[in-house]
Amino acid sequence: MKRLVYIVVVFFITSFLMYCLFSLIPSDPARNQLEGVKKSMKPEAYQQMYEELRDKMGLDDPIVIRYARWIGFMPDKQSGEFDGLLQGNFGYSLLRQKDCVDVIKTPMANTILFNIFTTILTLAVTIPLGIWCAVHKGSKLDQGVQAFTILGYSLPQYIIALIFIFVFAVLLKWFPVNGAATPGSTYTGLRELLDRLYYMSLPILVSLFGALGGMSRYVRASMIDALSMDCIRTARAKGVKERVVIYSHAWRNALLPVVTSIIGWFLSVFSGSLVLENVFGLNGMGALYIKALNGSDAELCLAIQMFYTVVALLGNLITDLAYGFVDPRIRVNK
Amino acid sequence: MAKEKKKSTFGAVLGRMFGIKKKELNFQEEEALQSPGRVTARNFFRRPTAVFGLIVFVLIFALVMIGPYFMPIDLGHSDSNLANIAPGYNMMDVPDEMIKEGIADIVAGQTYGVGLSEAGKIYTWGYTRVSNTIDLKDVPVELTTGEVNVVYMAAGLDHAVAIDEDNNFYFWGNNRLNQDKYQSNAELNRALLMNKLEIKQLEAGNQFSVILDTDGNVYLWGNASNVDLDCRQAEREEEGMSYEPRKYQGNIEKVAVTSNAYVCLLKDGTVAYTGYQKDSPLNVNLPEELKNGSVKVVDIAASSQCVAAVDETGKVWVWGVSTKGEKEVPVMESHPVKLYGGRYHFTALLENGDVISWGDDMYGQASVPGSVQDEQIVDLFCGGYQNYAITADGDIETWGLKGFLCGTDEQGRDVLARIVNGGKTTMTVGAIAVIIATLIGVLLGGLAGYFGGKLDMTISRVAEVVGGMPFLPFALILSAVIPKDVSNIQRVYIIMVVLGVLSWVGTFRLVRAQIFSQREQEYVTAAKALGVKEGTILRKHIIPNVMSVLLVSITLDFATCMLTESTLSYLGFGITAPTPTWGNMLNTCNDSIVIQQYWWRWVFPAAIFGLCTVCINLIGDGLRDAMDPKSNGR
Repeated sequence: MKRLVYIVVVFFITSFLMYCLFSLIPSDPARNQLEGVKKSMKPEAYQQMYEELRDKMGLDDPIVIRYARWIGFMPDKQSGEFDGLLQGNFGYSLLRQKDCVDVIKTPMANTILFNIFTTILTLAVTIPLGIWCAVHKGSKLDQGVQAFTILGYSLPQYIIALIFIFVFAVLLKWFPVNGAATPGSTYTGLRELLDRLYYMSLPILVSLFGALGGMSRYVRASMIDALSMDCIRTARAKGVKERVVIYSHAWRNALLPVVTSIIGWFLSVFSGSLVLENVFGLNGMGALYIKALNGSDAELCLAIQMFYTVVALLGNLITDLAYGFVDPRIRVNK
Repeated sequence: MAKEKKKSTFGAVLGRMFGIKKKELNFQEEEALQSPGRVTARNFFRRPTAVFGLIVFVLIFALVMIGPYFMPIDLGHSDSNLANIAPGYNMMDVPDEMIKEGIADIVAGQTYGVGLSEAGKIYTWGYTRVSNTIDLKDVPVELTTGEVNVVYMAAGLDHAVAIDEDNNFYFWGNNRLNQDKYQSNAELNRALLMNKLEIKQLEAGNQFSVILDTDGNVYLWGNASNVDLDCRQAEREEEGMSYEPRKYQGNIEKVAVTSNAYVCLLKDGTVAYTGYQKDSPLNVNLPEELKNGSVKVVDIAASSQCVAAVDETGKVWVWGVSTKGEKEVPVMESHPVKLYGGRYHFTALLENGDVISWGDDMYGQASVPGSVQDEQIVDLFCGGYQNYAITADGDIETWGLKGFLCGTDEQGRDVLARIVNGGKTTMTVGAIAVIIATLIGVLLGGLAGYFGGKLDMTISRVAEVVGGMPFLPFALILSAVIPKDVSNIQRVYIIMVVLGVLSWVGTFRLVRAQIFSQREQEYVTAAKALGVKEGTILRKHIIPNVMSVLLVSITLDFATCMLTESTLSYLGFGITAPTPTWGNMLNTCNDSIVIQQYWWRWVFPAAIFGLCTVCINLIGDGLRDAMDPKSNGR
């Protein structure tokens, strides 16, 4: 519970910091709103109306008050209602001339879908691989995997992406170079999902390759540590089957550090998908974020940034809870 | 133990180089004599991968730190004619066969050469690709086999023309802009039909070609949008009205072709711009003396936007638009007799047989090598960025642009030079960011770990907030709010600070945890019990232990910071062009055409960057393993 309160506090601190930062992006909603009528009015009348609007929108108030309005602690100056982030109003996107919620919906679904697939696939590959390498430590294949994985965590994702595009899309033509769906397609249902997955497969592969480096090395290292524990020696001495030793005794011990790193990695997947979405032209949060930043669309940026922040905080919370779950010795609320 | 020694003698050699003496000791003596630092160093140099990483990293580091002094780049430089050239170093590799047959003519294009041998065969060399489907290498077969005897040959930006002894025309290269429509010139057609065309000179510019016949007439054809393809005699006669109407057609001695205009040397030794663009700098800036016949011009030559003329007294006149020093004519020992023009340079053959070049010297095209001065030069061919000099004994001397080892990017900039200079930026940014992050991390971590209590609590919470923020999106905003009007250098500094300020949390946690755990160690308690002063304990016991862990983390962080910087730059939010970094060099490579066709633009930066980070990580891993007491193998 204490943890939860703490997370909420951190959320507000971060969101305030973000708000301050984004207010540094030069943008003037009042001027934008009046842009249409500017030509039909006299300059003085325009200036007056502009200032009135600024006042009405509360653009000249201190930043704390503006923040409070934005997040929903204080009533909106115009309508007198509480209408902020907490009430589900994410703001208005100047770039798309729509409410941010509507703008964000599809990309968010795409990004989450993408990340879920990446996560499942990565965990399904890296954990067995890491365990295998730890058990067969020093073997030729293990050394090969180690050499291979160092590439995965040393190379930046966009370089891996370029190489993969070159090999799989340009040379072998297995996958499309970029895009989110077959242009002009009208697939529905399962077919649509498959089509989207087909377009996502290359980014997912890139992500997997990057994760192979970090994750499988981590799993391997903690597995090696776990395997050198005394309890393993005891278990082996007792004649417990090697399978049971590895998957039950050692793995349980190795899980704790692995869980931390999985969460950390999960967060980085969201950051990583930011790069990949831009490389592959996927319609995701990351691509939208870059567009919003380039277009100085402060409110849209904020909304997206809050999405990232919430993901990060949730990640931290899950880590803490997972600790308790994996390791009964640690109880969060004790 | 013995086995290990054998395995990495190379490492041992290096180890000795770094002052680690290896005596024959049994391990108890070793234990007693060697300090932890030495043990670590020895362990480190025993690892072939780590040593490999260190060597390669040092090499790359030296390359990017020393390289920029040898390969300075001009940030504003761009040259569309050199854009997207594949790696190669063969732009002046004249085929041996052609030299054997004797060289009749050479046309130096921007990036290629086309040669005509005495046997009437055509040869090409260098980077001849014009587009995906068009390649100047695809010379019509009959021209290369010697079936027809080619007499005249010329090549422009993307097309080439050849004319054989029977006045048959041959074209290859790009023909989309009427480069091959010589029939469109009615006068030329007439002359050809009446079979009275005797060619004296054939020249080609950007998408157009010119013939000068022995009667002194010029015939032009090709892309009419850039250049007036007619000798405007009637309209331009008024120019000479004040003294005597000048007649152009039938009176022309030589034409000099710039990239999209031409200037004629008339038989009376005057020079005329006969095109229709009266306000062209070639016409407006044409010196009066050359027009009114007060000096007698012997030879003219054109660069891409300038024309040079030499008169009887040896004085060189240059007019037009000079951007790269074409007008800075050097002092010459004797009279120039012939002039030759490249893209941004001129070369002159002097009376005493010397050769002198001036103008743009970016690729060495204006630096005549000493060997040329020693030889007896009989003929010179210049163009593009190259010069070819034929010596009396039939050999060929060349100077100028040989090619680009790593190709060029979309703005014609040398990829290798940008890699070298970009590496410097990337590494500097990475290093400074790490230093900032380490300083903050060590300071806060030290405070938190040493004093503990409330201070620790506060700092840890702050660290958690900073650490909890999503890194990349946050770094993106920070660089997005940098005002657009800061200079590139300032931007680099800001990025360093942003990266440093965002990435100290890891170091902080490490230092804090390390200090905590060291303070609880029994030997510290023992030292306290012995009455050792607090300061001494800190200095002698705690700091060395923290330092060793810190070293590893700094190494790995360095790689991470470089990665982050390059990712930011790649997304267009870090250091922006024209300042090169390894990240923003790849910024423009994100489409399938570049990935496939202009592979050198991303392969080379990506490769060196990848190699660099792999090496840093190898070093970091090696250090960590070397410090790990468990891995000492006892």
